[in-house]
Amino acid sequence: MHVERGMHRLVLEQIARDFTDGRQVRRVLFPTDLEIAAGELTVLAGPSGSGKTTLLSIIGLVLRPSEGRLILGDRDVSRLDEGAAADIRLREYGFVFQQPMLIEGLSVLENVLLSVAVQGRRPSKAMRTRAMDLLASLGLAATANQQPRTLSGGMKQRASIARALLKSPSILLCDEPTSALDADSGQVVMGILKRIAIEEQRVVMVVSHDSRVFPYADRLIKLENGRVVSDTRERYVEGRLSAP
Amino acid sequence: MVVHDRSSTAGALLGVVAIVFLVGQQLSVLFGLLNYMSVLVDHSNADTWITSADLRNADAGNLISTRYLDRAMGFPQVEWAAPILVGNGLFRTPDGSFEAVRVVGCRRPRLAGGPWDFAEADETALLDFESVTVDRLDFEKLGRPMIGTVTEIGGRRVRVGAITDGARGFQGTLVFAPLDKVKQIAATPPGRYSAILLRFRPGTDHDDAVARLRAAMPECSVFTTAELSRLTRLYYFTNTGIGGSFGFSTAIAVMIGIVIISLTMYVSVLGRYRDFAVLRALGGRRRDVAAVVFSQALMIAGAGVFIGFVLLAALLDATRGSAIPSYMPPYVPPLLAGSAVVVSLLGSLVALRQALKAEPASVFH
Repeated sequence: MHVERGMHRLVLEQIARDFTDGRQVRRVLFPTDLEIAAGELTVLAGPSGSGKTTLLSIIGLVLRPSEGRLILGDRDVSRLDEGAAADIRLREYGFVFQQPMLIEGLSVLENVLLSVAVQGRRPSKAMRTRAMDLLASLGLAATANQQPRTLSGGMKQRASIARALLKSPSILLCDEPTSALDADSGQVVMGILKRIAIEEQRVVMVVSHDSRVFPYADRLIKLENGRVVSDTRERYVEGRLSAP
Repeated sequence: MVVHDRSSTAGALLGVVAIVFLVGQQLSVLFGLLNYMSVLVDHSNADTWITSADLRNADAGNLISTRYLDRAMGFPQVEWAAPILVGNGLFRTPDGSFEAVRVVGCRRPRLAGGPWDFAEADETALLDFESVTVDRLDFEKLGRPMIGTVTEIGGRRVRVGAITDGARGFQGTLVFAPLDKVKQIAATPPGRYSAILLRFRPGTDHDDAVARLRAAMPECSVFTTAELSRLTRLYYFTNTGIGGSFGFSTAIAVMIGIVIISLTMYVSVLGRYRDFAVLRALGGRRRDVAAVVFSQALMIAGAGVFIGFVLLAALLDATRGSAIPSYMPPYVPPLLAGSAVVVSLLGSLVALRQALKAEPASVFH
């Protein structure tokens, strides 16, 4: 299924999700309406079990909603088959996970290139150049040929951001990107994500229950018990890119 | 996995090497034994064999009359015809004990059906009525006889005139002798032979000539050399348990290899389950995950086949010229390599099943 690039808009219409626990059906996300725009950093917050990871998984096309529609650009992508969802993830999405999840045995550069090679394509020379540029912009140029195990936690997370950005995704989804980092590294990572959202006009959504992340949010959506309980927006203030 | 996960790679590699080496070694022994089974037929230098009727294998023929020799020679397509006589006897060793030998008699001066490779002297030694050959591989068994050693076979005086190189039959020690000497040793009735060997004239239609011979001698069996060789091998293969035994041990080797490959790759995939989930989340499809698993299996198979063949070549080289039967027909290594690759892919199926279970949603917490 083709989704036109540049349609940086995500719309959730009555999205809900149930999980089956034995014979019992448990609703973990109640019907939710959201519209997430490019050019702002959206933080999805809430305590454990609030449904934020479920919501992120549905938005990331790795989990199908039980109800509702997910619109990416102008297309309903909530009922795609596995292959079509993978194609859209590959083309439109970048992911930054709670753990950097770099693959040991591959160099940092190879890990970054993995995001375009995952369907068996050989990365072009231009893509390699872009990967090196991204690593350089994230302060990792010298580590390109190193194994991930030789990097600190913050460096690994920055490498995973480079992996997410390599294919210039419309949508960047980040799951607790600072939880495994110290305060300084966490600030660096959030500063980078904020800059990507605003300067590169992408949809950037960060899931976190870390209150240190909230000051970076242009929009803060709070979930509790599977429901959106607050959705607040802050005006973007010049000069808040690197430090809130 | 291949580079980073060295212990798993080594384990799976061991499985492939085990398959190639163990199965290759089994096959080389099997083909070595197959060569022994039909050794006299294969080295006869004849186009056709005339034997007693309803023959089951080349070693189990009844004696046939000399009149078939005359009849065969009357065919215009036949360039030459020569009888052989095979009998059993007891070879007296220098310490006075006896060793059972199979004595093959060939008619002078052509010596058709006689010895082929020599370690010492040559076939002309058999032009002497008393002379026999012994084989290098049977030296110890026969008490290390030398050229000129005089002894007895079946109570008849013989003298070692030549030493053959690798003339060994499936039924035991082969000793070549002049036809008349074997008549004495085996005490066969006059005018009787084990078989008649024929060579056709150049340009002869062999199928037509064999058909004519069969029509002319319905009371005998007429085989081409290839037919008789195949019949004899098939007989021993199916009637001695060799086929079942080798088939069983080969199957065990393959199963051990599959189990080793399956377990090591499965454990490796379990350890890297999260990586496969990451691949899926980044946009990898199930078939991309399968491609990764199969690529790893193919890389391991390639390396394992190479190492296995190096070890196998070393073994075959070490046993060449020894009493251990070993022979590897040229078509076997490619088949073995292909089979090892297929087995490796089969072994990776369990790992693949596990890898395909990796849910992309599991990367989110």
